[in-house]
Amino acid sequence: MNTLTDQVAPTLLEVRDLEVEFDTYGGTVHAVRGVSFDVHAGKTLAIVGESGCGKSVTVQSIMGLIPSPPGRIVAGTAKLRGREIVDGETIDGDIVRGSEIGMIFQDPMTSLNPTMTIGDQIAETLQVHRGFSHGQALARAAELLEMTRINEPRRRARQYPFEFSGGMLQRSMIAMAIACGPSILIADEPTTALDVTIQSQILDLLRDLQQQNNMAIILITHDLGVVARMADEVAVMYAGEFLETGTADDIFYNSAHPYTVGLKAAMPTNRDESEQDLMPIDGSPPDLFAPPPGCAYFARCPHAMEACQNDPPPAFPVGSGHATRCWLHHADCPRRTEALHYAAPIEGGDT
Amino acid sequence: MIRYTIKRLIQGVITVWFIATATFMAMHSVPGDPLMNDKAISEEIRKNLEAQYGLDKPIIEQYGIYLWNMVRGDFGISFAQENRRVNDIIREHFPISAILGILAIAFAGLGGILFGALTARYRNQMPDIVIMFLVILGISVPSFVFAALGQLALVKLNAFFGISILPVAGWGTLSHMIAPSLVLGLGTMAFLTRLMRSSMLEIVSSDYVRTARSKGLPPTRIFLRHELRNAILPVVTVLGPSIAAITTGGFVVELVFAIPGLGRYFVQAVQQLDYTVIMGTTVFYGAFLVFMVIVVDLLYGLIDPRVRLE
Repeated sequence: MNTLTDQVAPTLLEVRDLEVEFDTYGGTVHAVRGVSFDVHAGKTLAIVGESGCGKSVTVQSIMGLIPSPPGRIVAGTAKLRGREIVDGETIDGDIVRGSEIGMIFQDPMTSLNPTMTIGDQIAETLQVHRGFSHGQALARAAELLEMTRINEPRRRARQYPFEFSGGMLQRSMIAMAIACGPSILIADEPTTALDVTIQSQILDLLRDLQQQNNMAIILITHDLGVVARMADEVAVMYAGEFLETGTADDIFYNSAHPYTVGLKAAMPTNRDESEQDLMPIDGSPPDLFAPPPGCAYFARCPHAMEACQNDPPPAFPVGSGHATRCWLHHADCPRRTEALHYAAPIEGGDT
Repeated sequence: MIRYTIKRLIQGVITVWFIATATFMAMHSVPGDPLMNDKAISEEIRKNLEAQYGLDKPIIEQYGIYLWNMVRGDFGISFAQENRRVNDIIREHFPISAILGILAIAFAGLGGILFGALTARYRNQMPDIVIMFLVILGISVPSFVFAALGQLALVKLNAFFGISILPVAGWGTLSHMIAPSLVLGLGTMAFLTRLMRSSMLEIVSSDYVRTARSKGLPPTRIFLRHELRNAILPVVTVLGPSIAAITTGGFVVELVFAIPGLGRYFVQAVQQLDYTVIMGTTVFYGAFLVFMVIVVDLLYGLIDPRVRLE
């Protein structure tokens, strides 16, 4: 992926400066703090980060799935083909949801209605958005199940979720999400609850469907292996912010942010070496009730400088389409050369 | 499904036999007997009567006779009421109790589901706070208090308007049925409201409702197809036991509203130690409740496919 293909693939979704907060008894949680990204047709954007960093909240706010109260979208815009879909509090609707943007979730076992047949649940979307009759919609549901590689789709469509395995449920979820031919599919940790073999099949399926339909995918995950396999573009999220954005190659081979480097170092490898110890990132993410004034990663960063504590770093361009929020990349930073050297591929850090 | 139904019916028969045995034992271990009423009778008459009713036989034999008659569907003749067969008492008065009970259950079920969904929808807002306060009243105040208060309110209301809006007591027309069935169903409705509220709150934040919203379905469709059907499962589960609660509550309400239901005969029979009537009504009620619980369980399968196939 390079600048050229960037220009070829049209931008579907433009998210700018999205901020989401939740009111809780303990105070206001600043879950997403000014996030911007573009989604291009036929491309996969992966949002990576550890639990609680705001990955899911980001996409759920685009889908209008943030329960309000307690949640609220404080600022930001999200334009789908130029049309604003995050209107103050919620998505401009039911027209976009399910029809233009489909979504699949982490746990397929609990994400389907237990008292409704799989076929009916898929058909429902078509009846609502496309005006299909129940019969037409059911027939189409069976076709969709076949597309997602479920055997005997007609019989299966009449069954209930408890009669399906986890992998089949996730396939059904995918069939449901793509029923109306959405231009964007949001996959919120789609394989976290599945075992590795199934995980691999689901990822293959997503990729094939993407190629067939020129569909964009927003993939939420904390698994760098999944990112390496699926993503064209990657956003590394931490404490409600994107610390680094770029192509998958940029992120893996030209990591510019110390957090990205830390994540890569913390990845287990298959190498048979004596120093197999995992390299954890010391400390824990900052309290989002009162986010730090400066860089969110300051407390855990091995390269922290004075400036990092109180001044939030802006996004510094590191290359074409590659940017990072880190003071090390400021032109006047005395350790800039060190940082750039450090950004080069590190030993054993590739995938 | 058929196998399951048969299995449940067999279990039901065993339960009824248990009820019959327990009732028989309890009845005979209470001091006194149906012949020890206010009128003093000579030893000779007593002997004759005992022989006629079979009370002179050993307990085990009496038990055997009772059981055998019961299997044939004959509950015998009342000791206390002249020339009345227990079967006739049940046939004449049970339908009245049944209508009262069905109305009360319908009222409790519909009200419970409606108010439960409403309170969940307006959680911690005015409708929720008001209804939940009333629910606590409904659960803690016994039905005979509501019965008396309801009658008093009706008297005042009828006097105020100068015409009889609803009759205060008695039985016969549909308007007679409204007040007692409301009073009878109130406690159960309060209980079901609470259950429905918590169940609804859980469902509303469930993953599959989130999925339904991500599909862009209209709110009414989400409510009817995804929330309501799943939320009423626990309500349906307790519907069986609720029928029991309403039936027993019916004894008192029938008395207060002067309704000629079976409950009144049951209470009378216990006071007079009228063996056959106690035996007949208890076993009949027991069998009825067991049957209703089975029906509810089969209904449950209609709503929840996971239960259907097991």
